[in-house]
Amino acid sequence: MFAKLKKKIAEEAATAPRSNVRIPRTISKESITSMGADSGDDFASDGSSSRDDLPAQLLRRNDQIRRLEAKLSDYAEQLRLMQKTKDKLELALEKHQDSSIKKLQEQNESHQVNRTRMAEAMSAALEKKDQEWMEKMAAVEQEKSALSAQVEEMMDQSLALFQKRDDLDELEGFQQQELSKVKHMLLRKEEQLQQKEAELRSAQRNLSEVQGNLQALRGHHEESCSLNAELEIEREELLLLKEESDRKVRGLEGRCAELQEVVQKVSEDLQKSQRTVAALEASLQGLQSEHDSLRLQQQKAAVVEEEKERLLLELQRKAASLERRLEGNLSQDEHLQEFLQEKSNLEENLEGSRAELLALRTDHADAVGALEAQVSRLNGTIAELQTLLRHKDDSSKAYRTRTDAQICDLEQQLLDAKDALKQQTADNQQHTDKLLQEWRAERTHLEEQSQEKVAELQQNISALQTEGGRLQERVACLEEQKMEAEALMRQQRQELQQCRDELDNERAEKKKVSDVLEELAQRREELQVQVDELSTSLQTARGQEAAAGEELRRREETIRTLHSEAQHWQEETERQRALQEQTVLDKDSQLAGVQAELDSCQARISYLEVEVETLTEQLQSPDVCEDAENGSVTVDDLDHIQKVNRDLEQQLGDKNRTIKQLQQRLAELRRTLQKELKLKSDQDPEGRERYSESRADKQERVCPDLAPASSPPPSTIMVTNSVDLNDTREINFEYLKHVVLKFMSSRDAEAFQLIRAVSVLLHFTREEEDMLKQTLEYKMSWFGSRPSPKGIIRPSVSGAFTHWS
Amino acid sequence: MGGFFSSLFSNLFGTREMRILILGLDGAGKTTILYRLQVGEVVTTIPTIGFNVETITCKNLKFQVWDLGGQTSIRPYWRCYYSNTDAIIYVVDSSDRDRMGISKSELVAMLEEEELKKAILVVFANKQDMEQAMTPTEVANALGLPALKDRKWQIFKTSATKGIGLEEAMEWLVDSLKSRQ
Repeated sequence: MFAKLKKKIAEEAATAPRSNVRIPRTISKESITSMGADSGDDFASDGSSSRDDLPAQLLRRNDQIRRLEAKLSDYAEQLRLMQKTKDKLELALEKHQDSSIKKLQEQNESHQVNRTRMAEAMSAALEKKDQEWMEKMAAVEQEKSALSAQVEEMMDQSLALFQKRDDLDELEGFQQQELSKVKHMLLRKEEQLQQKEAELRSAQRNLSEVQGNLQALRGHHEESCSLNAELEIEREELLLLKEESDRKVRGLEGRCAELQEVVQKVSEDLQKSQRTVAALEASLQGLQSEHDSLRLQQQKAAVVEEEKERLLLELQRKAASLERRLEGNLSQDEHLQEFLQEKSNLEENLEGSRAELLALRTDHADAVGALEAQVSRLNGTIAELQTLLRHKDDSSKAYRTRTDAQICDLEQQLLDAKDALKQQTADNQQHTDKLLQEWRAERTHLEEQSQEKVAELQQNISALQTEGGRLQERVACLEEQKMEAEALMRQQRQELQQCRDELDNERAEKKKVSDVLEELAQRREELQVQVDELSTSLQTARGQEAAAGEELRRREETIRTLHSEAQHWQEETERQRALQEQTVLDKDSQLAGVQAELDSCQARISYLEVEVETLTEQLQSPDVCEDAENGSVTVDDLDHIQKVNRDLEQQLGDKNRTIKQLQQRLAELRRTLQKELKLKSDQDPEGRERYSESRADKQERVCPDLAPASSPPPSTIMVTNSVDLNDTREINFEYLKHVVLKFMSSRDAEAFQLIRAVSVLLHFTREEEDMLKQTLEYKMSWFGSRPSPKGIIRPSVSGAFTHWS
Repeated sequence: MGGFFSSLFSNLFGTREMRILILGLDGAGKTTILYRLQVGEVVTTIPTIGFNVETITCKNLKFQVWDLGGQTSIRPYWRCYYSNTDAIIYVVDSSDRDRMGISKSELVAMLEEEELKKAILVVFANKQDMEQAMTPTEVANALGLPALKDRKWQIFKTSATKGIGLEEAMEWLVDSLKSRQ
């Protein structure tokens, strides 16, 4: 309310002075008097010149005074208006108070009336219901008594029925006792019968034993027969032996013939040797003839020698003749010398020929000696041959005699053997005869024995038969007994039948009784049905009663709720009343406040008037101030400022938003730029690296750091472009291919170094990598066991390597 | 157990191979250097997608030399091969001034690895036959080698195609490895 007033005042104030006057915002109420000194913003521009020309200042003061006067008039108007509004408000307040008090009273009255009416209606309804229910209850109780009477009757009937049932049970007990007695007797009879049958069986067993004995004896007989057969077989064997000895004799005769043939051969050999001897003698004769011829040749040679000697003699004669001639032709000496020479020559010749002859003679003698030596040698050989022949003859003779002796011996042996064989055969036959005799004796003995045994057995059998007869008699007796027992049984069965008949009769009676019982039961059921119906009706009645009770309860509840509502209402009314009182009080206070404000306004007005007066007074003394301090105005200004502030804040927020958007866009643009740069670099690595060295450098440095140890492929981080991705994938794939190829083909030591690369490329886990390492170690080492696929982590080789360096 | 015995035996007979990695950016000449060292010839190579491994004997010392492909996409896989490495041959293309920074960052990242803490570093300032090649000192400065601590390193100017400086470098490596043992 106060605010409204203020606003109004402000509006009025704003309409008049706003156009040309700016109200200083910093002026407080207390500092109005001191306002004149620092006159405000308007005079700031010409503050320096104020001292120079006072008339201008005066003019300005006049203007200000005029303005103040106008303001004063405005204030007066405002005051008037305020008073009017105050009157109006007082009137309105009074009216409001009256109306609210009236309303409250009316409400209270109506509520009480309503409450009393409700209570009356409820009590009436409750009484009615109570009466109805009481009636119903009485009816139900009557029905209940009737039903209980019926139930008692039924109980009596059922007691009678139970008695009858007990009688029936007793009868059945007697019947069962009798039946059990009969059964007992029957069982005893059957036991007797079984005993008899057992006896019979033992007798039959005796009989079978005797028959077994007989069979054993028959076995004995068969054994003796088999012995006989064996003996015959032995005889046949002996005959076979005889045949074999005959065959031997034949063989020996064959050998004798062979020996004779050998003898003949030996004699033939002898003849051959004799023939050779003859041939040798012939050759000897040849040699002797040769020897003779050689002697003849010697004689011839001797003849030739004689001839030559004769020739020599002739030649000597010639020489002598020639000497004579020489003596005749030439000087004798010369001739003689010549002849002598000739003679000496001839003598020389002669001597040479003689030497020759001698040599020939010696040669001849040598040849003859050699021949003679040969002859003598041949004679020696002949003699040796003759001695050999003689030896051979001797040996052949000895051999012949020996063979003859052997043959004789063999013949003798043969004869001996034949004799022995004959003896053996005779012995054998004797033996067989003896055996046969023995056998026969035994057989007869056995037969006798068997006959005896048979007789005994027959006796036994007869005895047994008699026994059997006896037993049969006994069996017959037993059968008779059995018959009797059966008769008894039949009697007993008849009795049993009778009993059963009786039982049937009793059962029939029982059936009748049961029929009666059933009827009774039916009746009882009917009664029960009736009872059920009655009980259902009772239940329904009870249900109705319960429903009525529930309704009653509900009613009571509603009453209670109504009571509570009433109380609530009362409370509310009280609260409303309190509220109203409070509002009244508030209004009073507001009024008081308004009045106070008014008072203050009046005071201020008076103050302002005083001020105006002072100002007017001050007007004379050209000290200027502006009284434009007004609370309403300042509030308005504040509002305005706040509004402006809000607007500015909004603008700021908007701008912030736009700035953020722009930044995002910028980041995106940057990213795309980088991508493009990278793309370029990958397509043309040299150009790119020259082009943006530092950038690529940074990226390359960042990538390995980002992906430590386990998975460093940076291509995935760097690249999002599809073409680029394919490219790097291809490179990666090629790299992987190369590494795996090398891993598989290289030596173990190199392969061990490659484990790391392979496991990184194929994204192995640490365990898989370790496993690979262990298996390679196992392959490389001479000792050690094959590592289990997921064993304990062994110290890696890097640790083992350290102690090398 | 088996590993222990095998290590014992290899120790006894002194047949352990030194493990050396040849690393560097793509096109630095790693594969050419490897085969120059092994067969002494310049072979025509293609970009290595993967790796090459060869056994080289130098001054009675057996090396198992691994030449790992240096392409950007497969550089991250280098770290898979770091374990049990005795020495690193880091090959730099001296004529490629533009990518020297990348080379440096790769080297620094590699040397930070725990598994390579004891590895000896040999830098090959390769392609010295090119006109615009940087000198070894320039390369060393560009790679920030003088700032390295706790690391035995040496730089050599090499030319794999001309066969310059490789044997010298290998001799130094053999000597330092022997002295370390």
